[in-house]
Amino acid sequence: MISRRSLLKWTAVAPALAAGSHAAFARMPHGLDALLLDERFSPEPQPGQPLIPVMRFAGDVTRVWYDHLDRRWREPGYVLGGITGSDALFVLENLAEQHGRRVVSRTVLDEPHFQGVAPISWVIAPHHPSVLA
Amino acid sequence: MSALPPDMDAAGFARLLGELRGAVGSDWVWSGAEDMFPYRDSFSPVWNTGEERHASAAVAPENVEQVSEVVRIAKRHRVPLFPISTGKNFGYGGPSPNVNGSVVLDLKRMNRVLEVNEARNYCLVEPGVSYFDLYRHVEERGLKLMLDVPDPGWGSPIGNALERGVGYTMPHFRDHFGAHCGMEVVLPDGEIMRTGMGALPGADTWQEYPYGFGPDPAGLFAQGNFGVVTKMGFRLLPLPEYYRTGLITVPKRRDLIKLIEHVNYLSDSGMISEVRFASPLSSRMADPDFAALATKLGGPSDVEMDTAAEAVDLPSWAVDLQFLGPQAATLAQWEYAKDRILSDIPGAQAIAGDHFKLPATEQQLENTTQPYASGIRRKAALGVPSLGIWEIVRDDGHVGFFPVIPRDGEAVFEAQRVLGDAQREFDLPPYFSAITVPLFWHTHTFQMVFAPSVKHDDPEHNAMVHRAMKKMVAVAAEHGWGDYRASPIYQDDVSATYSFNDHILRRFHEQLKDAVDPDGIIAPGRGGIWPRRFRS
Repeated sequence: MISRRSLLKWTAVAPALAAGSHAAFARMPHGLDALLLDERFSPEPQPGQPLIPVMRFAGDVTRVWYDHLDRRWREPGYVLGGITGSDALFVLENLAEQHGRRVVSRTVLDEPHFQGVAPISWVIAPHHPSVLA
Repeated sequence: MSALPPDMDAAGFARLLGELRGAVGSDWVWSGAEDMFPYRDSFSPVWNTGEERHASAAVAPENVEQVSEVVRIAKRHRVPLFPISTGKNFGYGGPSPNVNGSVVLDLKRMNRVLEVNEARNYCLVEPGVSYFDLYRHVEERGLKLMLDVPDPGWGSPIGNALERGVGYTMPHFRDHFGAHCGMEVVLPDGEIMRTGMGALPGADTWQEYPYGFGPDPAGLFAQGNFGVVTKMGFRLLPLPEYYRTGLITVPKRRDLIKLIEHVNYLSDSGMISEVRFASPLSSRMADPDFAALATKLGGPSDVEMDTAAEAVDLPSWAVDLQFLGPQAATLAQWEYAKDRILSDIPGAQAIAGDHFKLPATEQQLENTTQPYASGIRRKAALGVPSLGIWEIVRDDGHVGFFPVIPRDGEAVFEAQRVLGDAQREFDLPPYFSAITVPLFWHTHTFQMVFAPSVKHDDPEHNAMVHRAMKKMVAVAAEHGWGDYRASPIYQDDVSATYSFNDHILRRFHEQLKDAVDPDGIIAPGRGGIWPRRFRS
């Protein structure tokens, strides 16, 4: 199940993410706890201080997983948005499911692929009672 | 789509779920299509077909006592359980069961690293511990130990070992089941058993001597269905002081025979870590003429391949060597390997590669400074878990067939030809050709790889892949090459190929299964072993 609080958070940001990587970054979404951007698809960092933590990687989610998500997903809460390749999302979705979280929004973006990999915007939110905020 | 357990109606299923919730808590039992979606095999070539295997429910106990209670409940209801650790067995069935309607016994909550002993070089873990978890435990405590990890490293040491998975360091650590030492198992009647010295109360050698006294049943629990493993010990490699690499090339096609013999000697003598064979001619496969030669029906001649190599001034074969140990020892071993091979194979050449003190820095792990093209994935080679390999997965995943091949050059040539010819009828990339190299993963044997991709939106492609998998298993077996590990949808096919003396091995396993688990409570069908209830 998804809590009302989480539901409100991710439904508020999903349209902005679905608009594409440039739009997502320009209109830094509210309601997420962090944003994950795959540099194979996302624009360079914009000037100014982002409203939420932005994590960047380039296809390989190992460091993001080991340094951040593995710890953060053991605790309640934490709604994560992202624009990544479908390959990275596959990895994250599997890890999320193991930690009581689900992909609650996903949109394949109408943007150039990277070596056959499609960019996808998504939101992963807590689902299991053990990690609901 | 979810299913009901065999021989059970909806009312019985509801009673089962109620009892499971009572055992582990209502938050840790799942059923219904949405909750069961993660327990499907997303890499399955029979995705969304009648052959796909679906579980009915999943239950996640917190400790061994709850596992025992779940097994007793399942036994009362005659419901098959399908144990998984972290469920990451992609390419070999993922978390999906052999029997429709099975209840997945998800051990992810049992995620404690129970002990890591730096002085005696072992660990004891639960099934839900991932390689990342174990690595973090070692790293945060600054322990001088090296793991041997599969790639990707998100699975669990127990799950991977029980699948006879492999890693990429020294020979006796790469075979993950071979490196285990002691296990705790919940048997099909709910009893808890410990193997080896774990059976002797008060023994402090559970992770040091695997056999104890009398027959050792540990092998029954790898790719088997005789119990649920709830703890397992593993031998760990003391962190080597130094890492050294080098590349050796040989000019002619048949030089592979001698090259393999030298590598066998170096490996069996404990001088080298994992090696990677390669053919520099693989870069020529983009040339249609060369590709046609390398995949020629019946295989090209040695002369044709040597002529092609000479025309582009490339050696026929290369081998990436890796050394772990004290700095002076790794240098001596590299010098010895170089002298041994170059003095025996005319035209062989050697290039010294990266070498550095361990533990490696982040930059060294990225493997960007090697002076030659290398197939080594440095993180895995140094026991550092990674998720980076998912960058090479395309479409919706793949299935894997990895036949076990003799560690012999002539056998490699024969496998190239036989398997290459066998796959020609399928519209797939050439997994086998005259430049296909063996994988040296398991301690003392070779394998080759056939891993066609699957596409959720292309059932015709998937059906072709499904046919190809079955054909490759059969053709390989005709030549004595058996698969080492298979998805549930292929386990009966593979098991049937191990047919010596009218399938006595399978019949023996069935006798054991009938004796300890006649109703098939633990993973009926796993490893091709069916209890009497399901054989009929």
